[in-house]
Amino acid sequence: MEACQVARKQDLPPPGGYKPIPYKRVPAKTLFSGYTMFAGYFGITAFAMYLYSLNYKQILRDQIEMRSAKMAIYPMLLAERDRAYLKQLRKNRDAEAELMKDVPGWEVGTYYGEKVYKLLPPDTLVEPIFHEYYAHSRSWEWFQRAYLKLRS
Amino acid sequence: MVLTADVHLPEESELTVPELQLSSPALFAGSFHLGKYCEQANNEFMLCRLEEGDPRKCLKEGKAVTACTMEFFRKVKQSCLQEFNQYANCIDKSSGDYSLKQCRTTQGVFDKCVLDKMNIERPGFGYFCEARVHDTKRPKPLPEPKAVYPDATPALPENAEKKPARFGSRFYWMTE
Repeated sequence: MEACQVARKQDLPPPGGYKPIPYKRVPAKTLFSGYTMFAGYFGITAFAMYLYSLNYKQILRDQIEMRSAKMAIYPMLLAERDRAYLKQLRKNRDAEAELMKDVPGWEVGTYYGEKVYKLLPPDTLVEPIFHEYYAHSRSWEWFQRAYLKLRS
Repeated sequence: MVLTADVHLPEESELTVPELQLSSPALFAGSFHLGKYCEQANNEFMLCRLEEGDPRKCLKEGKAVTACTMEFFRKVKQSCLQEFNQYANCIDKSSGDYSLKQCRTTQGVFDKCVLDKMNIERPGFGYFCEARVHDTKRPKPLPEPKAVYPDATPALPENAEKKPARFGSRFYWMTE
């Protein structure tokens, strides 16, 4: 047979044999021992906590300073607000009297003479709720105040 | 509205005083020295406001507060306007919440000017957060008297006969 005559080369090891299989462990270089790493962890953490505490105290101081500044100007703002508020209350009451003057039996601040708080002494200032306070204003002003949070 | 004609509300003329025309950065810039300068008036007003709980009763004190504040800022304007404006400008533009910590340099300049010319030292950072005792001449408001109800159920007389309970105690598991 013709095909059987072709010289075939058998797959054999290289001359001199295969290289030995590298089965020995090559351990990573140990920079730190276990104890050193634990000590390093605690050391770095302690130092970081010290830095954190410095920062924490500084932030606390700044917050207290801001609160202090606000409390220093608060009496002035409150005094101003009180006057504006009382002015507006009087305007509201006058507006109600003007609006309801043609309605027989209507008394200002009551429902045909029936008070909201009948047990309170007559000269008690009850702060009206938001919708009553804005009752005689334009609806846009009411909206602006009511949805202030959405816009700011 | 809840306000009847019996409620006394002051006239507009009683409530109109010259008000401060300053923006928030300016108020924050002057806050510490202002608080120190007007400490007496502020304490008087806040004590009144908290004790009385009624804005109508503290209008006089409130006007004193506003007058004192006006006086303080007028003095600042006379003596340290340049430094004050610089500091307020810094507070306005350095942060979104007027924080004072961004402006220590300009603050130092302003503090020094106020100390030299108006002789007000800047109080410590938490000075206005501390609790304080204020001595006032205004009489303390009386406590609310105890309510008297004319239709209350009359109590038993002192010497009424008190028989033992006919069916034992309701709390027999506790008292026996």
